This record gives sequence, structure tokens and C-alpha cells, in this order.
Amino acid sequence: MRTGNYKESVGELIALSDSKAVWAWTIVLIAALTAAPFLVGTYALTLMVSALIAVIGAVGLNLLTGTTGLISLGQAGFLAVGAYTNAILLTDYHMPVWVGLPAAGIAGALVSIVVGIPSLRLKGLYLAITTLAFAFIINHIILYAEGMTHGPNGVFVTGAKLFGFGLQRGPALYYLTLTLAIATIFAALNILRTRVGRAWIAIRDHDIAARVMGIDLVRYKLLAFVVSSFIVAVAGALLSLQIRFVNIDVFALILSIEALAIIILGGLGSVAGAVLGAVFLSYLPEAIRLVLSAVIDPASPLYANYVYEIRGIANGFVIVLFLRFKPDGLIGFWRDARKYWSNWPLAY
Amino acid sequence: MKIATSVLAAALLSATAAWAGDPGVSDTEIKIGDVNIMTGPAAFVGRGVSLGSKIAAAEINAAGGINGRKIKILTEDDIPSRSFQALTKLLEEDGIFALNGTSGTANALAMMPLITENNLPTVVTTAPSALIYKPVRPSVFTFGASYSDAFYAQLKYIHDHSEPKNPVYGVIRQDDDFGQEVEAGYERAVKEFGVKDGIRLRFKKGTSNFAAEMAQMKQAGVNVLANGGIFAGAANILSEARKLDMNLQSADVWSEGIPASAKLAAPAGYDYTVGDYVALSGPAVEKFLGMAKAFTTADELAGVSRYTFVTYVGLKSLAHAMRECGKELTRACTIEKLRQTKNLDTGGLSAPVSFDNPQQLAGTEVAVYQLNTKDLTFHELVGFKKY
Repeated sequence: MRTGNYKESVGELIALSDSKAVWAWTIVLIAALTAAPFLVGTYALTLMVSALIAVIGAVGLNLLTGTTGLISLGQAGFLAVGAYTNAILLTDYHMPVWVGLPAAGIAGALVSIVVGIPSLRLKGLYLAITTLAFAFIINHIILYAEGMTHGPNGVFVTGAKLFGFGLQRGPALYYLTLTLAIATIFAALNILRTRVGRAWIAIRDHDIAARVMGIDLVRYKLLAFVVSSFIVAVAGALLSLQIRFVNIDVFALILSIEALAIIILGGLGSVAGAVLGAVFLSYLPEAIRLVLSAVIDPASPLYANYVYEIRGIANGFVIVLFLRFKPDGLIGFWRDARKYWSNWPLAY
Repeated sequence: MKIATSVLAAALLSATAAWAGDPGVSDTEIKIGDVNIMTGPAAFVGRGVSLGSKIAAAEINAAGGINGRKIKILTEDDIPSRSFQALTKLLEEDGIFALNGTSGTANALAMMPLITENNLPTVVTTAPSALIYKPVRPSVFTFGASYSDAFYAQLKYIHDHSEPKNPVYGVIRQDDDFGQEVEAGYERAVKEFGVKDGIRLRFKKGTSNFAAEMAQMKQAGVNVLANGGIFAGAANILSEARKLDMNLQSADVWSEGIPASAKLAAPAGYDYTVGDYVALSGPAVEKFLGMAKAFTTADELAGVSRYTFVTYVGLKSLAHAMRECGKELTRACTIEKLRQTKNLDTGGLSAPVSFDNPQQLAGTEVAVYQLNTKDLTFHELVGFKKY
């Protein structure tokens, strides 16, 4: 039984994990995810792609809100910027997808500077409302800049290919999304070990104390906006590849709320929490659907007319109960389980 | 030996043909999908739409089904970012044969790549926007008139029969594709009638306060209004007009032809008109309600509206095409038979359905109805007519 940790070098201190078991299980998980297209059906693969896109978006938002403490309700706007940039470049300018995806991220990052600068002096609810207003502005720009965005008609996303493989469906889209999700997770974990990551955490914990310690608040807050928005915009671009039609109705305010719910439910400030929250909320409606179809006769009028409302209510209830009884989120569950396992048979 | 090989090859080929049948069809059943808004504020519309398919399926099944096969309706909830996912589930998990019943234009468009890829026979009945049938997608058939024609029809009736002295026309509409179509109908009307075009206003979807807009309308002297609001929005527009004591003839969207909308808007006291491609009152509606009683609960029957009629007609058209294919039912055959559909009688719920045109578009004839705010009933002013 392990009783403590003794670090002998800086390298050991900042390693992503000092546990061989963690690395082994990570490799097993990645291998299982790589094999998934051969083991599951098309619909399950579609759900997995949706969950992976949610993971990328949640990890991006977590860097801004969970790590730096800057609440944003503008995620739907950044998703829209990424989705539209990718869609327009692919469809109207026939650019390859390896241009579209990074361009979407860069567009999101550039737009975030415009939002970030006026938001630097704001915190808490004031910042939330400012970012919310940004999402509305983006909405209006997309609707009225018809010459570029196709306005209310939306854009069909076509022609995404890499090495001759169509990237908008099936295993190809899955592997692209999986690769970017893994890259995002490792990038986020690494950023948190750097000076930048520690500065963000210091700003979140006490911004005045952080400034006294020499952290440039303007620079680091803006950097948090830029990095987070880059990642979220890439998630938007992937979403546009998956749904193949982008229209302003897709990027409703509810997406921003859902993104916040994901990182809170997962465990604010934790990359693993953001991943768990995204996977959990992506699969919760499906899980509730399976439970309801087992307990209510699918042929009954109750099921036919109200099962979707019941599913929505159940979805809400699970989230409320979770936050009531496990306020540190899914990552709290994970830590408890890990502690129990490490201390077994002396766990209590 | 050669003969034996040929026989074996023929047997294998016929076995392959039997296995190669399209998804969603068994010896006893045909699965039809329905992707509709079943949650949130618009759920009452989605439930009405879904009910149309279910009533049509129950009626067809009670009469023996389609060449001995019963129709089974499978519904999925629809929100714009997940329409694609909902249809993927219906196609991959449930294995539907065809699709009848979709929600808004954006939602239907989001499903188009999958519909085209799977050559899925689809009848779009609730979003008859030009974006659905331009360009024409081979497996997609649209039932319904344009918002443009619906508004033109009403404004024409007002111009011909009840136009006030010194008419000043005005339009208020959403800033989206739907709003563009409303304004197109208005534009056609004011140009053709040579009347004064007082003011054109746009508002964002979801707006609920129209005090400023209606003050501008009053300032412009508008007395004939093309009201592009829907549900609570339309009611709020009329309510603001009443507060300002405006004397108005109001032409409204067909969403205002359902009992829930009429109840919301009636207190303003305007007997507004509605242009629609399905009947809102009359013997056809009475007959439909009599028939539907046998297949619905009292709760479901109370939710019957024009949205029920449109998908009912949609499924009847689809059923007609499938029946024409006989026992060897395939998607390709159904699409071909839908394309040949001509003058299919809908019992007066709409003009006869004909998809035999390049756009595969039917039900473009519009009838004009007027609300009686005292008893919340609609009476017909003009029967189904092309504009």
C-alpha cells in the first residue's frame, strides 16, 4: 500500500502522472476508443463524436471559467464563429479541411480579443452578461452579413476531405474528433503545469494577490480568453462537419448554459472533470431514454406524447440532485473511488 | 453441371434480392419516422404534428394497412443542433423506411444530407419554404403553400373586400428566412395594388415586447397590417395595437389559425385573417374530428390543430404511393410513385395533392379564413385557390 509521495526532482514534481497504472489505463482507454468504430454501430459512433466535440468545448471553457475564474456565457458565440468559419471556407472557398479547422480556431481567438479587452475589468456576473451580449452580437452579425454568412438561410457544409477520405461521417470523422480531443486534453494538462497555467490559477484564487506577485492581469486574462476561444471555435468547426448544415438556430443561448453545466457537473477547474462532465451530459438523455422505455409501455399514449418532456424533467432532476449531493462534481466521485481503492482494505 | 451452376446462381441472386430489401419494411410492418419538437414552449405544435401521422396510421391500419402491412410511427424529439442526431437514430437504430413530419425549415435542412444520402422518401409538411424544394432533392416532397402566397392571398382579400379608406399598409416580420417570405408576399401585394407602403419593420425571433414597433406603425398611419409574429408574438403585436387604439385589418401567419393562438390573440378584439393550405373549419374538419375520435384519447383530440391536418395529409400521400408499389415495396418505387401522384383527394382538408411537377411541390393552394373573436371560430372567406 502506498503511504505517500516523495519527489526528488522538478521533473517528477510537474509530471502529468507519476503512476505507471494511470499511464497503463490511459493507453488501454485510448486503444479501446481507437477500436470503437469496429465494435459499435453508426448511431453509437455518432453519439461518441458528439461527446468528443463536447469534451473539446468543455476543456476549452474550463480553462477560462474553471482555471482562470472568468465566467463566460458567450460559448455559443465562439462555437458559431468556428462553425461558420469552417463552413464558409470549405463550401464557398473550397479550402481543404486542414486549412478550415485551424482557421476556425484562429477566427475564434481573434474575436475573443475583441470581447476580452472590454471585459478585462469585469468579473463574476458582470463578465457573464458581457459575454452573453457578445453571443447576441455574433448572432446579429451572422444574420445580417448575408453576403458572407448566407444570413438566415444557413450553410451546407460539404467537401471536407483528408487524404481522399470524406471527413463528415463515420469512422473518419470519429478519428479526427478523437485525435483533436486527445490533443486538446494533453495541451490543457500541459498548459496547467506551466507558468501560464499557474498564473491563471492565481488569478482565479485572488486576482489582487496575483498582481502583487507580479502577474500581469491584462496579459494573462486575455491569454485565457484567446486559448479558450481557439479551442471552443475548433469544437464549433467539428460540429459543423458533423451536422453538415449550420444555421443560427443551432447556436442558441442554451448551448452556453449547457457548456457551463458540463464543467460544473464535472468539477470546476479540473480537466478530467470537464471530460467526465461532457461525456456524462452527452449520454444522460440516452440513458434516461433506455430507462423510460423499460418502465413505460412505448405503445401507450403517455409514452407517445410526453416521454420527451419526462426525459427533459428527469435530465434536470439528475443534475440538481448531483449538485446537491456531490457539489465537487463527477471528479469528486472519481477522487473518492481512487482514494478508496488506494487505501483498500483500510478504506473508510 | 452448367445448368446446376446457373440454377445455383439464380437461387443466390434471388436470395440476395430478398435480403436487399430497404430498411423499415417487414412482411407485417412499415416503419415511418417523425422528427418533431416534443419539448419546450413549441411542444404543443410538435405534439399536434406528430398526432397527424399517428391518426393517419391508425386509420390506414384499421382499414387493413398497406397491402397487408401495418404502419408504425416512430417519433424523435427535435432541436436544431440535434435534428441530425435524431434522424441518425431513426435511420440506424430504428431502421425507418420513410420520413413524414419535420419541424422548422432549419431543422429540416439540417436533415437533408442524411435524407439525400439514404434516398429516404420524405414528405415535408410543416416547413414549405423554398429552401426545402430549391434545389429539388429527388426523395423530398413538399406539401404546403409559401408564406408569401399566404400573405398575398389575405392582403388581396382585404384589398378587394374590406380595405379601409386611405389605406396604408405595413409589415412587421422576423429577421429570418420565414420573415423574408412574409415580406415577399407583402411586397407583391403593395406593388400590385398600388397602395401606400407605410412601414416595414423587422424584429428578432423571440421578441415579446412590440410597444416601440407598434408606436412606429401608428405614426406611419398603418391600417392594413401584415402581422409576421407567431403565437405569443402575434398576440402581443395585436395587443399593442389595441392599446394604441389602432383601427386595423390584420393578416396573420397560419400558426394563428390554431385554437391556442386564437385564444391568446382574441382579447385584442381584432378579427384577423389567416391564409392556410389546410382547412381551419367546415365539413372536412368536422369529418376528420369524427374519424379521429376512434383513434385518440380525449387529451390527444383536444390537441388536434391545423398542424395535425398537414402531417395527416402527408402520411396519406406517402401511404398512397406505398400502396401503389404493391408487395415489392422499396424506397425507389415509393419515390417514383410519389412523383406520379396527381389529384390525390384529401377529403377537403386541402386542395388535391399533386407532386407531378418539377419542384415536387403540392398543396400550394391557399384558403383565407377569418377569426370571430367572440366565439374563437374561423370562417372561410375564400376557398383553396392558387395565387
